[in-house]
Amino acid sequence: MTKVITKEDLLSWLRQLAEKYTVVAPVTSNGVTLYESISGSEVDKIDLSFSNTELSPKNLFFPPTEALFTIVQNERPEIIPAKVDREAIIFGVRPCDARGIALIDKAFLAEPADGFYKEKREKTTLVGLACSAPCPECFCTSVGSSPADPTHVDLLLIPTEAGYITQIVTDKCKQLLMGAPVKEAEAVQPSLPSLKSVPAEGITEVMSKVFNDPYWDRVADRCVHCNICAYVCPCCYCFDIRDYVSKGKIERVRSWESCQSAGFTRIAGGYDPRSTKGSRLRQRWYHKLLYFPEQFGDIKCTGCGRCVRSCPVNIDIREIINDVQRMRA
Amino acid sequence: MTSVNPFIPNSATLIKVTDLTYDIKLLNLQLEDPVLRENFDYKPGQFGFLSAYGIGEAPFGFVSLAYRKAGIEFAVRRIGTVTAALHELEPGATIGVRGPFGNYFPLDNYRGKNIIIIGGGIGMAPLRPVINFILDHRADYGDFLIINGARSPRDLVFANEFDTWAQAAITKVELCVDRCDDKWQGRVALVPDVITQLKPSPVNAIAITCGPPIMIRFALARLKELGFGNEQIVTTLEQKMKCGLGKCARCNVGDKYVCKDGPVFTFEQISKFIEQF
Repeated sequence: MTKVITKEDLLSWLRQLAEKYTVVAPVTSNGVTLYESISGSEVDKIDLSFSNTELSPKNLFFPPTEALFTIVQNERPEIIPAKVDREAIIFGVRPCDARGIALIDKAFLAEPADGFYKEKREKTTLVGLACSAPCPECFCTSVGSSPADPTHVDLLLIPTEAGYITQIVTDKCKQLLMGAPVKEAEAVQPSLPSLKSVPAEGITEVMSKVFNDPYWDRVADRCVHCNICAYVCPCCYCFDIRDYVSKGKIERVRSWESCQSAGFTRIAGGYDPRSTKGSRLRQRWYHKLLYFPEQFGDIKCTGCGRCVRSCPVNIDIREIINDVQRMRA
Repeated sequence: MTSVNPFIPNSATLIKVTDLTYDIKLLNLQLEDPVLRENFDYKPGQFGFLSAYGIGEAPFGFVSLAYRKAGIEFAVRRIGTVTAALHELEPGATIGVRGPFGNYFPLDNYRGKNIIIIGGGIGMAPLRPVINFILDHRADYGDFLIINGARSPRDLVFANEFDTWAQAAITKVELCVDRCDDKWQGRVALVPDVITQLKPSPVNAIAITCGPPIMIRFALARLKELGFGNEQIVTTLEQKMKCGLGKCARCNVGDKYVCKDGPVFTFEQISKFIEQF
């Protein structure tokens, strides 16, 4: 016997939760699936058969723009720190995206920690949803995850014909599930979808040897530095900090940036250590496949396939990994 | 639950503004919080971010010494929007300060050694607290040579302090400029050439350098010709920085973040970087 929650019970549980928490869940409209805040009366809008959201759930902790603090000009300037909203539940996080959040955690929570981000993370519960059918570009099993990987969520739901198998991962979720209509039932764990494999094993070792290869300039030739790869990536976290002034109110704003932007590394006076497109493109792949693994132990890629789907010139991380492996002398 | 938003600056009052050159001002600040002011500690080589509220934030090396308790000082060259805004401020204005960030020159490890300071232009700014620290502890260090170069005589920073430095025991100050005016009596030479002319001995010596990347590169080559080993040459790197926490991902050289792992590196470390700085 396994613990199972039926679809109807799941929705009524979410309806209850929405009274106390901010509930965020995948909603599809006009063919585009995105995470949206859901009120109790809107739970029927939740898309339970989505393949994956267009944008990753990183937005919910690390939004495209956010005020870090506000300055009010009184007699002296007064700083008002940004506040974190009430506790949130993100429903329907795919295992690859949960891993993306875990990778950003490694960077943002490393000392000196970003306490503002930390507070948002601590006030959020991740309810994962295992994948029944992979996207054509997925390769999570090649980068240390799987379609039903419970590692980085608080609760994992595995869809079966009898309902959703509930796999409790953290204590945070145990509390949340108290009083939820979870029943003992016969449910067969579905077999996992099989994914195409990408040879990511041992990639860091090869990366450390091919830094000066002309390959990076060649790939960069077709890059139009639109930055979409970084924006859709569940684990890219380059950011900019700027002041925004409106009607006497000053906000210091953090916003998404990309290491692909011209001028990303240009210092006052004009010197730019990464002034060429090739050096910037190389930085992206080196951060993902060498520097981050050296700093934190993991490849900075979740295999979600979003960058592959979004790139207007078909720069494909799967191809890059294959090409780099072929450079292994 | 306590969590600290590391982007929030501490407010400080601008106490005094001194013109170092036509485009560089020395800002002397006092933190507004008296407890923080008393305990605020930083070391030569570390840096902080200065905020011109409503304009933005930029990183600057500390040019003062914490233990002297004479205010926090930064040398600000007017070169972008934030520095232009900081130049506009009058004493009494509020400036945001975040820091200290980064590592520092391990001056305690250099006790007993001969020290050579090689600075170019505004690159002298982070070296000024090193010089003053060594002068404050003069007996702990051996021969002391300061080579300071700039594009022209009017670009030399801390010119009013050269005499004080030169008066210290066994301390030599060598100035040079790329281009001179009629009044200039000193050397007209590039910093790397002055190194070759003066031939400082590498025996029991440490060379500390900061300046434009091109100067650092040639200074390094000349020092190596004289027999300096990579571990005897120390520099502080400048890269574009936004957060100071090793997170915004723009100041990295290979897998090292200049803001967090640096800015101070020996050439032994730099020689192992996968990427050129």
